[in-house]
Amino acid sequence: MRFSNEKIVGKSVLPDEAIPLLEGEGRFINDISFSGMYHVAFLRSQYAHARLVSVDTEAARAMPGVIKVMTGAELAGKVEPFRSMPNRFSGGESVQHWLAVDKVRFCGEAICAVVAEDRATAEDAVDLIEVDYDPLPVVTKAREGEKDDAPRIHEECANNHLIKREYERGEVDEAFANAHAVVERSFHIGRKQAMCLEGRGCVAAFRQGSFKLSVWMSHQLPYVVRHYLAKHLKLTETDVRVIAAQTGGGFGQKASIYPEEFLCSYLALQLRRPIKWVEDRLENMVASTHARENDVELKIAFDKDGHILALDSDIWADVGAYSTYLWSAGMEPLQIAGLMPGPYKVPAMRYVTRGVATNKTPVGPYRAVGRPTASTSLELLLDDAARQLGMDPVELRKRNLITADLMPYRNANNLLHDHVNYEACLDLSAAKANYQKLREEQESAAPNGRLRGIGVACFAELTGLGTSTAVGPGTLLQPGRDAVTLRLETSGALTIAAALPSQGQRIATAMCQVAADELGMKLEDVNCVTNDTAMAPYGFGTFASRTAVFGSGAVIKAAQELRERLLALGAHLLETPKEELGIVDSAIQTLDRTKSISLANLAEQSFFSAKHIPDELNQGFEITSFYDPKFGSFAAGAHTVVVDVDPETGDVEIVRYVAVEDVGRVINPAVVEGQIIGGIAQGIGEALLEELIYDEEGQPRTVTLADYLVPSSMEIPKIELHHANTPSGAIGGFKGCGEGSIIGAVGAIACAINDALSRKGGDLQAFPATPERVLRALNVEMRDA
Amino acid sequence: MARDQTITCKVNGRTYEKSVPVRQSLADFLRDTLSLTGTHLGCEHGVCGACTVSLNGRSVRSCLTLAVQADETDIVTIEGLRSESGEWHQIQKSFHENFGLQCGYCTPGFLITAIELLEENPDPTENEVREALSGNICRCSGYSAIVTAVMAAARDMRELQKK
Amino acid sequence: MKAPWFEYQAPRTLEEALETLRNAGEDGRVLSGGQSLMPMLNMRIAAPTHLVDINRIDALNHLTVESDTLRLGALVRHADVLRSKNIREGWSLLAEATTQIAHIAIRNRGTVCGSISHNDPAAEHPGVLAAYDGTVVIASTEGTREVSAEEFSDGMMSTILEPGEMVTEVRYPRPAPGAGQAFVEYARRLGDFAIAGVAAILEVRNGTCERARLTIIGMGDGPFRAAGAEDILTGETLDASTSAEIFAAASAKVMDEVDPAEDIHASSGYRRHLAGVLTKRALATALARTGGM
Repeated sequence: MRFSNEKIVGKSVLPDEAIPLLEGEGRFINDISFSGMYHVAFLRSQYAHARLVSVDTEAARAMPGVIKVMTGAELAGKVEPFRSMPNRFSGGESVQHWLAVDKVRFCGEAICAVVAEDRATAEDAVDLIEVDYDPLPVVTKAREGEKDDAPRIHEECANNHLIKREYERGEVDEAFANAHAVVERSFHIGRKQAMCLEGRGCVAAFRQGSFKLSVWMSHQLPYVVRHYLAKHLKLTETDVRVIAAQTGGGFGQKASIYPEEFLCSYLALQLRRPIKWVEDRLENMVASTHARENDVELKIAFDKDGHILALDSDIWADVGAYSTYLWSAGMEPLQIAGLMPGPYKVPAMRYVTRGVATNKTPVGPYRAVGRPTASTSLELLLDDAARQLGMDPVELRKRNLITADLMPYRNANNLLHDHVNYEACLDLSAAKANYQKLREEQESAAPNGRLRGIGVACFAELTGLGTSTAVGPGTLLQPGRDAVTLRLETSGALTIAAALPSQGQRIATAMCQVAADELGMKLEDVNCVTNDTAMAPYGFGTFASRTAVFGSGAVIKAAQELRERLLALGAHLLETPKEELGIVDSAIQTLDRTKSISLANLAEQSFFSAKHIPDELNQGFEITSFYDPKFGSFAAGAHTVVVDVDPETGDVEIVRYVAVEDVGRVINPAVVEGQIIGGIAQGIGEALLEELIYDEEGQPRTVTLADYLVPSSMEIPKIELHHANTPSGAIGGFKGCGEGSIIGAVGAIACAINDALSRKGGDLQAFPATPERVLRALNVEMRDA
Repeated sequence: MARDQTITCKVNGRTYEKSVPVRQSLADFLRDTLSLTGTHLGCEHGVCGACTVSLNGRSVRSCLTLAVQADETDIVTIEGLRSESGEWHQIQKSFHENFGLQCGYCTPGFLITAIELLEENPDPTENEVREALSGNICRCSGYSAIVTAVMAAARDMRELQKK
Repeated sequence: MKAPWFEYQAPRTLEEALETLRNAGEDGRVLSGGQSLMPMLNMRIAAPTHLVDINRIDALNHLTVESDTLRLGALVRHADVLRSKNIREGWSLLAEATTQIAHIAIRNRGTVCGSISHNDPAAEHPGVLAAYDGTVVIASTEGTREVSAEEFSDGMMSTILEPGEMVTEVRYPRPAPGAGQAFVEYARRLGDFAIAGVAAILEVRNGTCERARLTIIGMGDGPFRAAGAEDILTGETLDASTSAEIFAAASAKVMDEVDPAEDIHASSGYRRHLAGVLTKRALATALARTGGM
């Protein structure tokens, strides 16, 4: 019998996870200290590409308070460097030493590590190290870097192609030959970075507790880190404990493996002391992975009714100096190309995509890898097509969306669309924005000679990817199975343990809500640990909009089993048939509530006074379940944005923002809203403000937060958020919601800007839409000195 | 000249006398010497606002203030917001109830900034709130929930004032 | 990002401070608000051996109006400017510009004199002081000297301050009664350094522009005084039918006169264009605010 519990899933439960943060007791990496702890600072390359002629560390070593100065030459041979994760589409290989040996390949690459009694002293010593560089020619642009005569960044990597893939499905040439209309455009998006408010960092401790090496790290994937730490340091997994400390933002930047934390772990073992390294902002701007910087040439064939016949794209991703460890250089180039069709029916498609090595910071995963580029270039081109075909842009999109009646629908990129309603998102977005009226008033609405633009963008976002759908296409790393352990403690409280750390997503709260509903427990009796390999079963961690899907799915699977065990013992203790019992308010009860035993009572008896309980009913109340959803679940959305462009200054103001999202069944609405709006804010940054700029020598020009512009509360307008949710096919009907909204944001804003500019014959092809780029797109004459 | 100087200051109501390196920032002093790690460092060049503390009743960047400059001052950090009986400040309650934080790294700066705003302007418009908070970067929330939290705190504090 | 070592003194009197500064010579730096200096120390871009912290010198904390001159001592913070009714009413351009400087916590510490001494070409205060025809008071153990705002600036982030000298006060003469004042800037985000900005003061009597002051910030070498544009405006009749054309001429002149540098935020061409656009907007706003003459 299943009693109806009060449903906690679907309620905006206040998250206990927030309490320590509100009291100033969050314990982030930099807040963790041990006695005898040493501090590390790095000497980083001042050149984008150079041979290291000599590294003189004598003065640094002699400085009082300095414990050790480690160079690449000294480290070489002692640890395994990072080699590109093999990728079946791979071009050449890159080998990244933890400290540069012989050569540096980007500004900011670590050359030496100084260990000292405190960080300031370590920095003093770094200043005393003298490096003699022999500069080499640099590559700073992907399309230059792939030429035959371009300087080679890695000997083993011809044309600097760390990856190259060609793909064709369907009759592409035929479609273009028979097309009623062909539209094409170039698209460029600048380089950006996650800019987590907290940088990376670690505290690595020798023989802390029962582990040889315990590492607290600001990271999204503790188990993956543990596996690779053990491998590279030649330890067994049981020697190593990895704890994802309270983490100040991740967004993918903390999902890769980097040299610095591994080096600190090595130093902790060597020096037998706790070692702390906290990445400061100047380091973070050059040493943590960047994202985007893509060029796309896209062409679409249409029939006379505005249906897409085929899509043909040429893609260059500037992936920086090394293939990012684990994920490889394939992240951006493969996902841009492969996910280009989005929510639209594309019968035939072809692409050539490349990840080109350049002398810049490596590019790694960042919120919605590749999709903003794919989606924005496509959405801009749909608007072009609508203009050319004399059709309304919303109508054109409606004609091409994969509709629910066609599902399951396999698109030309071989992805299967199901349990998602793209059309409902678009319809609701247009209705909530009052799209028709916006168009009618477009001419007259903007004040002071400004140009009003309206942009509508639809997106499909594959979330919760199981083992049959790749997160890292072509790589050995195919995450898709995660476990959760449920354990009824002897007090009757439930502990959920999973290796699914939160960087603010309130994952623990979500899993507690799901478990409470499944087990009929009071929410306050359910607790969750998500960050510690010493406590949690195997799991890949938090990234790629997967955690709610995996964590909740595994919780439900484990809860079903645990529930059966609880009821079986309850039946015995209450001397009542199991079928007449249910769990309500953390107690096993009969329907009429005449018989009842609290889980606290049951748990205590089962452990402390088990004499009269048959063994077969007392097999422990600890269940571990793995969950693999096999495929992913498509989340979706349609964003409608209204902008006013000042044709004199080039300023873009967002005057209205309407977002409609399909994020499946919602666990905690307020948390989901925070994820969506947060993603939109980063999309606004990407579309309008954020760009990492390099000069021709490969020197980074944006190295502070005064130069790299992230949006403040003044740049983010009020977001009108609505839902058109369709439950997924995964257990519980959940979908991921962490990434989708950034895709819609970049696309809708870009479309709105070009809609405005088109009124004066302008067209913007490079983003972010800086005021200067906007004016140049309007052909405003500007005289340089 | 001595590399260390002795300062006396009051932090969260408690008086400290400590020897500090003259080059040490107020942020590092609070965090490393007093173990008040609730104040966070996000950029150490004054842009992000995570390190904002209240110094003699005014918000300042503790990364751009030297510890020696805190001599004879009265400082409040996030750890000092609760009342003596342990009750949360209205702004803490409001941030919690309105989901005004995600990763929480920026939160100390936002709380201190918001309190200063509401002391100067108990009934701010939404735009005034946004403007006052514009020197604090939040990378997670898109600010919406934060602005809502500050508006709600203002309302609640005005109600309390009336009683 | 930890500051390098330096020697630190925090004298209580100006005399003591000047003495310390003299002894420190080339390597001495005044620490006032610290909102520009401290980031440079943390990033190790600057490494002065001596810091002379003037924050404990109460005598430098004055904000007064005497014989139609506004006097701001070296410890007057941006936030003090915004709280002053005198400034809002008499020197509205100064107040308007100050609202666009950084953010509250920075304004609580940063000082007007510090900004003027730093002379960042994109900063508001140097351009505003020049627009008012203001004066900088400089002190050293040798005595004090007063120079005009324009003389004080010596190019990009450079001033005529000699080792051992510091700015103790800046003075802003009150504009003629009824003068229209306006400050307009364009920055990527509120509180950022401006890509370009224009300070304009128009004195209009019976419809005729008797005096115009126009300075442009963000142009490269410190505040730029648009003398040619001022000449175009002076003596002209400014009313609804004529002003647009005259302002356009002044704007064109500004674009000819300025010599902006390029950086990651803008090319020189865009800066020049923006200087022209903002000149028109600042002049129109200033004209709308004239009256009572």
